[in-house]
Amino acid sequence: MTNTLRRYLRPQQIRELSLLLLIIVVLIFFSTQIENYLSPRFFNRIASDVAIIAVVAVGETLVVLTRNVDLSVGSIVGVTAYFMGTYLGNNKDLNPALAVGMAIGLGAALGVINGALVAYGRVPAIITTLGTLAIYRAALVELSGAKTVVIDAMPKWVQDLPSQTFVSFGGLDVRPLMLTALIVVVLFQLVLSFTQFGRRLYAIGSNPEGARFAGLPTERVVFAAFVLCGALSGLGGFMFLARFGNITVVAAQGMELQVIAAVVVGGVNIFGGTGTMFGALLGAILINILQQSLIRMPQISQFWINALLGVLILAAVATDALILSRLRQLWARTSVQMTEGQAKRIASGK
Amino acid sequence: MTDPILEMRNISKRFDTTQALDDVSLALYPGEIHALLGENGAGKSTLIKIMTGVHPPDRGEMLLDGKPLTLNSPVEAQAYGIAAIYQEPMVFPDLNVAENIFITHRTRSPFVNWGKMYRDAEEILSQLDVKLDVHESARGLTLAAQQTVEIAKAISLKVRVLIMDEPTASLSAHEVRQLFKLANTLKQQGVAILFISHRMEEVFEIADRVTVFRDGKRISSKPRAEVTPEGAIRDMVGRQIDELYGEHATHARSDVLMSVRGLGKQNTFDNITFDVHRGEVLGFAGLVGSRRTDVGLALFGVEPADVGEITFEGKPVQITSPQQALQTGIAYVSEDRRALGLVMPMSITANISLPMLREYLSALGIINFAAETRTAQQFRERLAIRTPTVQVPVAKLSGGNQQKVMLSKWLNARPQLLILDEPTRGIDVGAKAEVHHMIRDLAAQGLGIILISSEMPEVLGMSDRVLVMREGRQMGIFNRAEATQEKVLAAAMGQGYSE
Amino acid sequence: MTRISERFKSWEGLLLVLLVAVVAFNIIESPVYLGGQNFVNLFQLSIEKIMVALVMTFIIINGEIDLSVASMMGLSACVLATLWRLGQPMVLCILVALIVGLIGGAFNGFWISMAGLPSLAVTLATLIMYRGLALVLLEDKSIGQFPQWFNDLGQKALFGPLPLALVIFFVGFILALVILQYSGFGRYVYVIGNNRDVARYSGVRVQRVKMSIFIASGFIAALAGIFLAARLGAVRGSTAEGFELDIITMVLLGGVSIFGGTGTLFGVLLSILLVLNLRNGMGLLNISGNAQTGVIGALLILSVLVPNLAARVQAEWNRRRAASQPPAAVKQAVSAE
Repeated sequence: MTNTLRRYLRPQQIRELSLLLLIIVVLIFFSTQIENYLSPRFFNRIASDVAIIAVVAVGETLVVLTRNVDLSVGSIVGVTAYFMGTYLGNNKDLNPALAVGMAIGLGAALGVINGALVAYGRVPAIITTLGTLAIYRAALVELSGAKTVVIDAMPKWVQDLPSQTFVSFGGLDVRPLMLTALIVVVLFQLVLSFTQFGRRLYAIGSNPEGARFAGLPTERVVFAAFVLCGALSGLGGFMFLARFGNITVVAAQGMELQVIAAVVVGGVNIFGGTGTMFGALLGAILINILQQSLIRMPQISQFWINALLGVLILAAVATDALILSRLRQLWARTSVQMTEGQAKRIASGK
Repeated sequence: MTDPILEMRNISKRFDTTQALDDVSLALYPGEIHALLGENGAGKSTLIKIMTGVHPPDRGEMLLDGKPLTLNSPVEAQAYGIAAIYQEPMVFPDLNVAENIFITHRTRSPFVNWGKMYRDAEEILSQLDVKLDVHESARGLTLAAQQTVEIAKAISLKVRVLIMDEPTASLSAHEVRQLFKLANTLKQQGVAILFISHRMEEVFEIADRVTVFRDGKRISSKPRAEVTPEGAIRDMVGRQIDELYGEHATHARSDVLMSVRGLGKQNTFDNITFDVHRGEVLGFAGLVGSRRTDVGLALFGVEPADVGEITFEGKPVQITSPQQALQTGIAYVSEDRRALGLVMPMSITANISLPMLREYLSALGIINFAAETRTAQQFRERLAIRTPTVQVPVAKLSGGNQQKVMLSKWLNARPQLLILDEPTRGIDVGAKAEVHHMIRDLAAQGLGIILISSEMPEVLGMSDRVLVMREGRQMGIFNRAEATQEKVLAAAMGQGYSE
Repeated sequence: MTRISERFKSWEGLLLVLLVAVVAFNIIESPVYLGGQNFVNLFQLSIEKIMVALVMTFIIINGEIDLSVASMMGLSACVLATLWRLGQPMVLCILVALIVGLIGGAFNGFWISMAGLPSLAVTLATLIMYRGLALVLLEDKSIGQFPQWFNDLGQKALFGPLPLALVIFFVGFILALVILQYSGFGRYVYVIGNNRDVARYSGVRVQRVKMSIFIASGFIAALAGIFLAARLGAVRGSTAEGFELDIITMVLLGGVSIFGGTGTLFGVLLSILLVLNLRNGMGLLNISGNAQTGVIGALLILSVLVPNLAARVQAEWNRRRAASQPPAAVKQAVSAE
């Protein structure tokens, strides 16, 4: 196998390609089971739902890459959706850009608390975010008085947002939510591949002690990852508000499980160090497709989706741990043979 | 006479109650390979830590190009061109080679220029005359390749002083050669190299100057030509080799305790065949990385072998777990106390009883604390473990005493065969002698002992016969009479690598 | 008994102080606080959680975590309710629910001890999975109307003023204490949590120990779920949702390190009393259940943050003290490198 081909067909890529394949297989399967399955309406439905999960999953990926986890994203989405809904209800003339900015800012602020506790307080991420998941949600319920945000109270531009169409490809509409998600995914994938910050995320997840030893600003990077995750969750919260309109205090409760499922199924290693935004997007798509499809199959209770989600996560983690790591060793061993063989050839040639 | 790049003057450093370094001076000149010899605890690591900015000295000063230097962190040291590579290199397995080389670089731009990174990485590697694919993930790199990456990393930081701390410990003979080639290349480029090693033969092959530390003090520092191995050992130890081991009397009997035929494990070791007699001390010699520990772990069932036959007390046995090994009568005392041998926060008592805990349980599974404590006290007397009580957590003991607790733990398992893996590593000379005395006693009582040791004098001084391994292969078994350091070393390093 | 470290004496002392403070505050707020009935009421709302906390202690000391316990509580309650609705005798329902707990625990145990997957990931997955199965069974319905004797198990005072559940907790506590601190199995739990490799090298059957405690966790969670169904009188798909927060907080607050290897049941008992009194006191102040949960979340974080900061402060203090002392002239034979 030539070097170039090897370079682009690494185990990670194989993982993501097989995920893409799986998505196609699932689509084909369901199209045989459900009438009018592959329709533009279905596509649009999925696109808007996936968009929200995908945006939050991008943030979660940043955190998971560093060998941490953020369980509080669901609460952050709920808090920002509710807060922005209430605020916009009372301030209808708020500049849209400012509104989105506020949501992001609020999410980032909540992310700051997470980041400070994990990076500087050295409280393990699982503990921190298990705690903030409860704290943020409790704060929301208490401070809101348990009212409901109603879509009609929103400014018109918010109400219309999900249905605006930018471009249409024969019925497949490109709408703001989906566009936002795509931009976020692409932008942060570029960050991962082409910025120091992104590479440091991988380094820290790959070898935390090594990173510290090498003088990398580990605390700062992990802190930033949590802040960005919060910010993206805030953005997701705004998108949630636009999509669903009627927000209660239990909005987005449990979303963190879907997001983590998307990330893990998408090939981001729970131990950090490997994974891409593209993979997270694929994971979000697969999970949402399964969710939406099961609803449309009357024979199967829709409540199976959660059980299925758990199975998917387990399968993804087991696959990565058992198969992928062996694949990586195999990959590495073939490359090592190449270089040692080369070395010997050179040595004997002298 | 050129000026030194880095000079350490009258450095002293204390940790708690230990004077790790006492008024030590050392000068590193450009283009010179300076070897630093000393037993564990002699102060070498402390000196390196000071040089690389991990600790500040208590007294004394560092001079870089004649100007005083204070370092507050390893990152600062790197900025001044002082870098170190260690036995265990720190690579990032999920990043590729080029990224690993440049990971510590602080560039102005927040963006990564992949093209430039690959080009620069290839340039450095070609400077070192090394063929590695810079695009390749670091995951599968051999230890030697990882060290090469570390050196490349140092070069990318324009290193002027390179410290190599026991870099050859886990390398094959061929890889050691490669490493020395790299070191010489750097030497020609004017880099000052500080080379720390326990391997006398390596030191004498590569060094221009030899300094010996002992107990935190500098004992001697001479050009290599003026130094002999015996003299160096004398400086390191303070006594002649034979004084250390005294008279050897063999207790080996004629009956074979364990017989091993064709033991092998894929990619690890191959075709190991030997007998151990009752009362015999069979030494396993070889450079570290010869896979002797793996053979020990296979015999103890932690990492069982794939092929081969083991006969114990005349009966064939299959050893697939530590419990089985213990039941058979084999015990293994590992080389790494902290990671593999003792549970640090637990008491001496609990550590000693652990492998045989079943014997201290009543019918309901409750621990008989009184019996446990009695056992611990018995061993405290027998092995002279220095501690106020046996309830003290082992973390609080000195290295030598921890080793004794480890030995007690396994002796308590009443083994017929005891495999000792580097039993005197990291303990002071006095405690070492006690351990050796104990080994002889055990042999006299009829135990079979496999002594794995990287200290040539120890292996030669203690063993009745010596089995030599190299890179997982058995090179030969020498009787005590014919085993000289030269012969054993030659076998351990092979006759070249024409395979 | 093996003395682990003096540090835990002071941690338990701190808990005791806090406990006294909270109880004192509660007494001031409500003079009948120390009455026998209130003692029972104290435990009432959380009796099922504290049962699970006992076994969670083993799991965390062993260096693992089980996030799926609350979902298992819900699942076992749903299994019980579903079978009951299908007309099965209650005793059978209880038995099957317990078996479900065993199977669920074994499922966790398999992936963690045999396949070697990280317990965080596995139990996160089973948290979702078991909850999902519970929802499949009950969907959005609620099942109740259990036989009176069943409801009495949870609520009625059967042994003096004490309900059966509370008695089982106390018996369970004694049992857990004996096993953890006095038995060989308990010592293995500590050793594995402290250093898995040492355990393996010393002949400890690591896989067996891990499998056992996860099976126990599943079983106890199922048992707790049954008691929960009995006390509530009705079961939903969302029963016991979020309980893992309280349970984990009780264990960590009790001085058990999240990294494994240290901690005592005595500390966990103190922390249980502290959390229960805290919730009770907050209830007296009319703080909603939701807000209480937020406070517990904060407590969870503090239980790890405060020792961290304290250790760093002490390390810094030690460093300054050592730096200002005159160097000793005599070197002791302690290995430095």
